[in-house]
Amino acid sequence: MRSLGKSWLLLTGFVLFYIIYLLFGALVFSSIERPVEEKLRHDMDLLREEFLNQSCVNAASLERFLVRVLKAHKYGVSVLRNSSETSNWDLASSMFFANTLVTTVGYGHTTPLSDAGKAFSIFYALMGVPFTMLVLTACVQRLMYPLVLAPVSLLQRSGLEPRPATMVHFLLLLLLVVLCFFLAPAAVFSVVEMSWTFLDGIYFCFISLCTIGLGDFVPATQPGQRYRALYQVGVMVYLFVGLMMMYLLLRSFHKMADLHGLTTFLQLPRCEESDPDEDREPIVDDEPRQPLPKDQAASKPLDPASQPSYNSINKG
Amino acid sequence: MRWKTVSAIFFLVVLYLIIGATVFKALEQPYESAQKLAILAEKLKFLTMHPCVNSSELENLVKQVVSAVRAGVNPSGSLSNQTSLWDLSSSFFFAGTVITTIGFGNISPHTEGGQIFCIVYALLGIPLFGFLLAGVGDQLGTIFGKGIAKVEKMIVKWKVSQTKIRVISTLLFILFGCLIFVALPAVIFKHIEGWSTLDSIYFVVITLTTIGFGDFVAGEKGHLTEGGSEGLEYLDYYKPVVWFWILVGLAYFAAVLSMIGDWFRVISKKTKEEVGEFRAHAAEWTANVSAEFKETRRRLSVDIYDKFQRAASIKRKLSSELGINTSMNQEMTPGKRTLSANLCEDREPYPNLTLSLSPVPGALTRNGSLYLNGLSPDYADRREIAIIENLK
Repeated sequence: MRSLGKSWLLLTGFVLFYIIYLLFGALVFSSIERPVEEKLRHDMDLLREEFLNQSCVNAASLERFLVRVLKAHKYGVSVLRNSSETSNWDLASSMFFANTLVTTVGYGHTTPLSDAGKAFSIFYALMGVPFTMLVLTACVQRLMYPLVLAPVSLLQRSGLEPRPATMVHFLLLLLLVVLCFFLAPAAVFSVVEMSWTFLDGIYFCFISLCTIGLGDFVPATQPGQRYRALYQVGVMVYLFVGLMMMYLLLRSFHKMADLHGLTTFLQLPRCEESDPDEDREPIVDDEPRQPLPKDQAASKPLDPASQPSYNSINKG
Repeated sequence: MRWKTVSAIFFLVVLYLIIGATVFKALEQPYESAQKLAILAEKLKFLTMHPCVNSSELENLVKQVVSAVRAGVNPSGSLSNQTSLWDLSSSFFFAGTVITTIGFGNISPHTEGGQIFCIVYALLGIPLFGFLLAGVGDQLGTIFGKGIAKVEKMIVKWKVSQTKIRVISTLLFILFGCLIFVALPAVIFKHIEGWSTLDSIYFVVITLTTIGFGDFVAGEKGHLTEGGSEGLEYLDYYKPVVWFWILVGLAYFAAVLSMIGDWFRVISKKTKEEVGEFRAHAAEWTANVSAEFKETRRRLSVDIYDKFQRAASIKRKLSSELGINTSMNQEMTPGKRTLSANLCEDREPYPNLTLSLSPVPGALTRNGSLYLNGLSPDYADRREIAIIENLK
């Protein structure tokens, strides 16, 4: 009973800390963004007045027009002249949409308009999200050996203790991921997308790879984009591989935390403990590798598959 | 085989995406075209109604309005009594959407400082939320487990099998959870936000799987007003309750999705088992066949050795009669010597050999057909010679 009480205590502690964290974030966002919003609002006021003054349009009809335009824009239909040729639902864009649905990124720059589309999205997501989780987990399991376990054992053989070895390896992996999946793509995006800065590119990469997907920056949506289909497919591949690397990073961090005793301290399931019986085998068949048999036993993913937010859920 | 499995699964995903793409395209493109035509007609109507506005001015205005809306400012409606998108409760909600990785996107930071802070905030907050979710999911699981234990105690009296109980309890879990976390909130949203039933369910599913498109957001109506009409008045505790529902609902959805993932895994494991059985059969067959080959080869080589020995002994006799020394015996390796020594005694061991050799390869296949398939002939010979010696 004592451990039960302790777990409740820990949980309430977490909830409290979480609320405080949210409040803190709210305060900071509010203080940063609000002045800018005020200024923009003021500018809009001026714009409206200017427009109404110099033309014969009255306020009411302008209102009506603007409301219609904004509603259409919300669904990705633009009234501007040069965007009438590209569709948001041609095959490549639909595939991009399906991809954002299934990886739970969910930009929202295009959303289903029809009822049938919405109903289909529901079922597609309910099936596709766990399926994608499974695939990503399988790939990560497969990559664990060459990218995590082999280098760690290499480091250990060259004289390091297990704990520093995992930490060194984790830092190296982190550096590699940041270089290849944040900085390099951000540079590419800032060149290809004309209105994005380098910071916008990094912001976009981060928001996408954490599957937050706010949707304020979405590549391949500028009108007149050349090779749009190819570009969209490229972004899809980048998203997929990037997600895989993030989960790999997460798993190696988890292993490192295990080794350093963090997970037991926080009473979370460890990497090895989460698969006590042999039916939780790796999805992808792994050969018994003599040098690291114990690590293979721990290869069942702890994350019920892919998202950082579904991380380390104990399968009670 | 492993890479093949992974690439097979990968191609399945790509296929799934392509299927989804074609269906979405078929469903949505007509609607989109209709919307485009409608809005273009609106524009033309506006331009003809107000001839003093030319098309480029209008486009400019629209562009600016659109980018303002993206920044969260809605120029339509009276601006004075609009609530800010970045007041404390909305910022709180935004912070929540970032940490849960839902990311609606109806509000997003536009300043550089806001974006950088968002990155750092998410880096720390997402793992934090992960822990929280783990804890909540744990508690949910324990509560559910206790409930199931009680139900099992009751049902055990009716002598129903355990698997049936498990299946029924899983179904009950799904049904009950759907009721509490999906159906009930959908009804509430429909009532408060004024959405249709489908829209409410769509919003619930898209939010709880953390996809979070943002085309429907609970609590948003206070900002966007339609044509000057009054915005909806929300009760003070509406947004915190929505946030709390998102938290618990996410834990529930995580459990459901991981269950579906488990089913996929069980199905793949079953297929893998069947494939594995087939592979084991094939391996055994190959092992038997190669054992047969080796056996025949051994017999042949033994015959040859025999004949060689006889020839050698004849030669020795002749040479001893003729007085010439031979060094035949020293050319034989120890293995060959023992073999010849063992086999010269009697011919009878051969039937024993054939009988006792077959289970041995079987034992080797049980450990893994690698051993028999990957072995070089010399090694195999030496091992089987040792076996023969042991059998003696």
